Amino acid sequence: MPMLATPVYIICSPSPQVGKTLVSRLMSEFLLLKNGTALSFDINLKEPSLVDYLPNITETADVIDTYGKMQLMDRLILHDRVAKVIDLGFHAFDEFFKMCEEIGFIREALRCHVAPVVLFVAGTDRISLRSYEMLRRRIPSGALITIHNEFMLRGELPEVMDGARVLRFSALPVFLKTYVDRLSFSFTGYLRNEKDSSSELHQWIWRNYVMFRDLESMAMLQPSS
Amino acid sequence: MTKPVVIVVGADKGGVGKTTVSRTLLDYFNTNNVQTRAFDTESPRGTLKRFHPEITEIVDMTTTADQMKIFDTLNSGLSVTVIDARAGLLSPALASLRDIGFLDAARSGQITFAVFHILGSSIASLDEIAETAGFMSGAKYFLVKNFINDTQFFQWDQSTYNSYFQQIKNATELTIPKLNEMAYEQVEVASVPFVNFVANKNRNDEAANHSFVLRGYVRHWLANVWREYDRINLTDLAGAKSVTRGGEK
Repeated sequence: MPMLATPVYIICSPSPQVGKTLVSRLMSEFLLLKNGTALSFDINLKEPSLVDYLPNITETADVIDTYGKMQLMDRLILHDRVAKVIDLGFHAFDEFFKMCEEIGFIREALRCHVAPVVLFVAGTDRISLRSYEMLRRRIPSGALITIHNEFMLRGELPEVMDGARVLRFSALPVFLKTYVDRLSFSFTGYLRNEKDSSSELHQWIWRNYVMFRDLESMAMLQPSS
Repeated sequence: MTKPVVIVVGADKGGVGKTTVSRTLLDYFNTNNVQTRAFDTESPRGTLKRFHPEITEIVDMTTTADQMKIFDTLNSGLSVTVIDARAGLLSPALASLRDIGFLDAARSGQITFAVFHILGSSIASLDEIAETAGFMSGAKYFLVKNFINDTQFFQWDQSTYNSYFQQIKNATELTIPKLNEMAYEQVEVASVPFVNFVANKNRNDEAANHSFVLRGYVRHWLANVWREYDRINLTDLAGAKSVTRGGEK
């Protein structure tokens, strides 16, 4: 039986306001529901951030200096069977991946039975396209997933991002989006308390949790080298 | 039998990174399975010996007894001898080598002799080049620009540098890139060879707890340094074949 890896989900985009924190919240709550434990890192200090939504499982981090990088990366490399979620703010995007390249994070992680999965929240602007190309060169294809957040990106995905694996988050009506954006809102709490399982939000959360379940299975079975 | 190889790492100025470069050489030869010994002339303290105690001996190169210890044992079977010449000792050491006939032996091909001249940022380094060049007939001369401690070669006028550089036949330039400060400090504190730090080992070769991030920076940096050594065919100079190294691509 293969050894199951510890997944590290890096939710990122070089652009602000594309839905990174929403996806990070969903992923963190899903992991908490499925595994009973999760550890999230908020590298998003200039925007509304994950730590405000999930303070019990979220730590703030930065990649501004070497000390901050050590505090973050030395924990990400641990094969402790606690799945990690990184909500990577747009301002830290370049520095984070530059550091990953310099310290050989992806290769070392695989050696340590840690499975990094980069969830790139797609945009159509030039910076997004350029950043996606950079990731395609550096991240093994199985570990690079495109997120199509249909609430923010109404049209088609850029062709280059549509070929590989894509997770689609359908657009919620604005009133529901406003509802889930409240700091006190919990996706899992909603599933537990809302009796009407046919409601649009119930279906939406459930559908996304199923996508994450499949992704988690794939990530944990990733070969160790 | 392999021809003995002597590499002197030196500069007349202090604090330019001679010992750091010596350490990278010892790691490089060790990884390429080249049997090596080292002499640390920073007597009596010996910084190089702190990092490579098993293969390093502290000597005072100005004494005849220690000169004999180094040069009368060149045929001991170890193919490379690295000498970390302390600040200010490069020119006197080369003069001594000339006086004992070592440079003649190098010129006649009995010994392979190389000098890694570590350059500082000041214009004085250029005068050092001119001075050292006088001894370099028959030797491989490498001019090392060491950026490890973020040296800015601000005092150099490129055309002046070129005029010095062109005076020396077959001199080769090498660049040692900058290493993250915190990573450098931690290797210093750990007092282990760079390769042991990368492998997360302590002085007793046991598992250590060095930061993954800092190990990553050192691994990346060391790979770049070794790429420079590969570029100048350093293993060929030592009469060995380069081994395929894992890890950094």
